[in-house]
Amino acid sequence: MRGRASRPSDEAAVDLTPMLDVVFILLIFFIVTSTFIQEEALGAEPPPPQTNAPSNPAPAIIVYIDETDQIRVNRKLTDISAVRGGMERARAENPESALIIQAHPQARTGTIIEVRDIAYDAQMERVNIVRSAG
Amino acid sequence: MARKVREAAGSAEDDVNLTPMLDVVFILLIFFIVTAQFIREPGVEIDRMEVNNKERQNPLGILIAIDSSSEIYMNKQVVPMSEVGFRIRELREDNPKGRLVVQADSEAQAGVLIDLMEVVNEVDGLGRVPLSVVNN
Repeated sequence: MRGRASRPSDEAAVDLTPMLDVVFILLIFFIVTSTFIQEEALGAEPPPPQTNAPSNPAPAIIVYIDETDQIRVNRKLTDISAVRGGMERARAENPESALIIQAHPQARTGTIIEVRDIAYDAQMERVNIVRSAG
Repeated sequence: MARKVREAAGSAEDDVNLTPMLDVVFILLIFFIVTAQFIREPGVEIDRMEVNNKERQNPLGILIAIDSSSEIYMNKQVVPMSEVGFRIRELREDNPKGRLVVQADSEAQAGVLIDLMEVVNEVDGLGRVPLSVVNN
């Protein structure tokens, strides 16, 4: 005991090695489990709830996507590249109108996303995506 | 002289000083603990669309996928439409703040996506459901 007391003061340090082992294991665990998933997304509006669906008297621009992915803007068959022009023309006629994207249940999801993107480009307000009965 | 003193101190003195490394390791550890987000991935490959109006979703929370054959996947399992709401509530308990993102394959059926958006709106109260698109 006397020998130990005569040692210099830096001998008083705690042995950190076991703690370092534990910390390393934790570190490796968190490195391995951390998944840096990045998602970019386009916001799409769900259909309005059916309970308070008043017969909307306001005029609406209807973009209909049928089961073969053909697009009709206000019943007029339109190519995807002309949808924006069609929407803007319809809005010029009725500036207050909402936009309804109506998709046949068998249509492609990609087409809906494309049309919704075009609606963002055209700065349409009050957009809703609904499914057609068929 | 100095050399002689060191030798006299014995082999226990030969240790490298680990304290600075321990500091660095702790900082790394804290960084990874803070940034760790335990997201349950749907585990299916989907084909995303390329769009102009996208927004980075941060922090992510819940992922729901619709694959090209219009099956809904959550946490690497097929989930029937009637159970999706329940599963969302379950995952919300682990992750109350993260954003919900729907990964819809571009070939999936629109009807499934629209029904799913309806459920998400009902359960999670989102007025706008984020649909995953190509990330660059």
